Amino acid sequence: MIKETKIISHAKYHIPGGIHPKEFKSISNQNAIEWLPQANELIIPVPNNLTDKQFLVSVGDSVVAGQSLLSLDDDLFSLQIHAPCAGVVLAITHKNIGHPSGLPMLSVIIKTELSRNVSSEKTSSLVSPDGWMNLQVEELIQKIHDSGIVGMGGAAFPTHIKLNTSVNRVTTLIVNAMECEPYITCDDRLLRGHSTEVLQGALITAKIVGAKNILFGIEDNKPQAITCLENAITQYKNTPGENHLTLEIRIIIAKTKYPSGGEKQLIQLLTGLEVPKNKYPADLDIIVQNVATLYAINDTICHGKTLTHRLVTITGDLVKKPGNYWIAFGTPLSHIVSTLEIVSQQVSDIILGGPLMGQIVSDVNIPTQKSTNCIIFNADIFSAKNIRNESKTVHTECIRCGECETACPVSLLPQQLYWFSKSEQWEALEEQNLFDCIECGACSYVCPSEIPLVNYYRYAKSEIKYLKVKQQQSENAKIRFENREKRLARIKTEREEKRQKTAEARKSATNKLDQDPDGKKSAIEAALKRVKDKKEKQS
Amino acid sequence: MKISSPFIHDARPTNQVMRLVILALLPGILAEIYFLGWGVLLNLLLCSAYALSAEALVLRLRNRPIKSTLSDNSALLTGLLIALAIPPFLPWWMSLIGVYFAIIFAKQLYGGLGFNPFNPAMVGYVLLLISFPTEMTSWLPSINLANQQPDLLQSLQLTFLGLTSDGLSLQDFRLLADGYTMATPLDETKTAFSLGLMTTEIIQEDRFLPNLTGWIWLNIYFLIGGLFLLFNRIIRWQIPMAMLISLFATASFLNMIDDELFLPGWIHLLSGATMIGAFFIATDPVSAATTPKGRIIYGAAIGFFIIIIRTFGGYPDAVAFSVLLLNIAVPTIDHYTKPKVYGSQIKVKTDV
Repeated sequence: MIKETKIISHAKYHIPGGIHPKEFKSISNQNAIEWLPQANELIIPVPNNLTDKQFLVSVGDSVVAGQSLLSLDDDLFSLQIHAPCAGVVLAITHKNIGHPSGLPMLSVIIKTELSRNVSSEKTSSLVSPDGWMNLQVEELIQKIHDSGIVGMGGAAFPTHIKLNTSVNRVTTLIVNAMECEPYITCDDRLLRGHSTEVLQGALITAKIVGAKNILFGIEDNKPQAITCLENAITQYKNTPGENHLTLEIRIIIAKTKYPSGGEKQLIQLLTGLEVPKNKYPADLDIIVQNVATLYAINDTICHGKTLTHRLVTITGDLVKKPGNYWIAFGTPLSHIVSTLEIVSQQVSDIILGGPLMGQIVSDVNIPTQKSTNCIIFNADIFSAKNIRNESKTVHTECIRCGECETACPVSLLPQQLYWFSKSEQWEALEEQNLFDCIECGACSYVCPSEIPLVNYYRYAKSEIKYLKVKQQQSENAKIRFENREKRLARIKTEREEKRQKTAEARKSATNKLDQDPDGKKSAIEAALKRVKDKKEKQS
Repeated sequence: MKISSPFIHDARPTNQVMRLVILALLPGILAEIYFLGWGVLLNLLLCSAYALSAEALVLRLRNRPIKSTLSDNSALLTGLLIALAIPPFLPWWMSLIGVYFAIIFAKQLYGGLGFNPFNPAMVGYVLLLISFPTEMTSWLPSINLANQQPDLLQSLQLTFLGLTSDGLSLQDFRLLADGYTMATPLDETKTAFSLGLMTTEIIQEDRFLPNLTGWIWLNIYFLIGGLFLLFNRIIRWQIPMAMLISLFATASFLNMIDDELFLPGWIHLLSGATMIGAFFIATDPVSAATTPKGRIIYGAAIGFFIIIIRTFGGYPDAVAFSVLLLNIAVPTIDHYTKPKVYGSQIKVKTDV
């Protein structure tokens, strides 16, 4: 147990459920951070809905590192995309980038200049390390926007949007350094090597959103990272500058348990609060940022660097030199395989991310992206001890043992969700709060029948969403149909009324003529009178 | 291959869970064989064979894999539970009917393991109890009281032929030295109460306590197996605890009202099928309530009904009836006891 100090304390609250899988973290956290040699070719996916005008580069153009590839008209909801390294645009084409849909995505292919050594690539410092204190909040957010920073814990949500919606709304910045999934160690190594920079990033973020507290949430399996972070905080507190922020900065240590690093779970662990249904952390005056994101913010604000690389854990039993590497976005996995001497014949499936929430890919040509925090190369992804091979195509049936329910961090009843998903009872599923499932996979992990529960939930969620769209469409169609019916009926009645009116008018006119000869007479008299008047006027 | 996360997995597979439950039955099985004789062993062998053959038969008809399904050990467990519930020396064809009905009608016709709304073993047992009430309540006195216990050969003859080669029937073995036909303690008290006897008079009978002792030991051995399951996290505490507490509380409450008309709680707790029911029957996860709160309600209700039926009903024991009764209520219980999910309750912000 790590000793409590002024800065360090242990989490007072806990989350329900959770699991304790074997960590496998020591495979990759023994070596210091290194730079991965640059790849020959980078694949940079861009949105599929762009017009030609929005491309700032075309095939054959030279690009420099950090050059913007797209013109997005300063739209604050867009995400800037840059060339990670200097080179030449080879093509703009559809490529398999490992999208979960399996569909190829429009990508810019850059042939890099091999002569350059990546580690020396540093754009000039635009701002002195402390100069940011004088910048306005809007300027800071604009810089973060221009740098293309996203949440690097996995969700890849644009950071500037998250910051923008939190400005002056939050009092607490929670830094997510939990890293609760097995195998992944990039946040651990980042904190061990760069906690000052991460802290600086946290200070910048706190200034932007107006936070009064910074809480670092970290699991107790990273004692070295905790010490480094503590030193950085002590150092900051002991060297008061003129622009010193008066903040309470603390490290809160939680017992290692998966999935403590989920955003909502972390908030619950550190504050005892639950983000209400359909609300956001900002509604609790909280913003959560991952350490890698804060490092990127510091790099952008203090060193003027664009986000072009990230720290990636390369691990697994096939990797000769497992560790954490700075890797340019868009680097194909094949380059990692060849550079790190991974026995490629044995690579069958690669996991991007962790083994509990990651994604499996089999194509080595797909690129790394901003959210790629870990790549696992195992001979057999299930071969490691404690991990059994899932060779069976059919799982055995659920016996409602309830192991899943004790593992669920959200207090759902996975066994019931499974039952209703399988029988496609959508309404019952919503009643069972299916949409509160965070898909952490703890239920599948402990299932004695080895049911791929999360698969069932994903299927049910997408079916329900699809049905809702369909329902909305048919409701709209119904409204349109009803409106059309009303309109037609109205036109019909209007036409009928009009017809009746004219008919009546005509009828009354003829009636007048027939029944009232005096009318005729009076008309003649009136005419005569008019003639008479005219004559009198003339005379 | 798994196509989507999670890619790792660590759990005791279902067949191992079932195997451990069977293992946990062992102390109780050995005790029952010791106290009630070879007939128990015969029942166990017969019912296991019946259960496996019935399951295999239906799986064949349903075109399902036979070997892998049989190896989930669930049919075997059902057979063993029925064997332990029925009296020794029950004619072989009666246990056949019970087990086949349990496996075919109560389990496989619903879709097999995981789909049966009722506890199959209890369905089979209740069918037998209703159809053959005399045979199903003809228990031997426990060994410390028995005049003579059938040996292995006699047991075989009783089960398959109804008579031993020297012409003894089961009823002869049930006679005590003084010519009294013995039944289970619960059955004894039921009869005694109907004859207008008081609790103290029943307990003071010479043969009552020795007979009860056997059943108390039986319950203790099943309790030991149950605790093994509990400590290995194969069953959860809610159902057995709730059931035993509510059973004891209900019985004690009645006993408090009139200790001459109602048995004391401890006798209920340690006789009949109380312990095997609490740890091995009510805990069948497939047919039990599945929410944490629901399990407590489910267990407590079973305990309550056991006492009510034992005391006021027509049958001496009531575990099977109570379990089946609550099986019906499971969907309702589960519906109203959903746990509160994350974010559904607004908490007051506290200091960090």
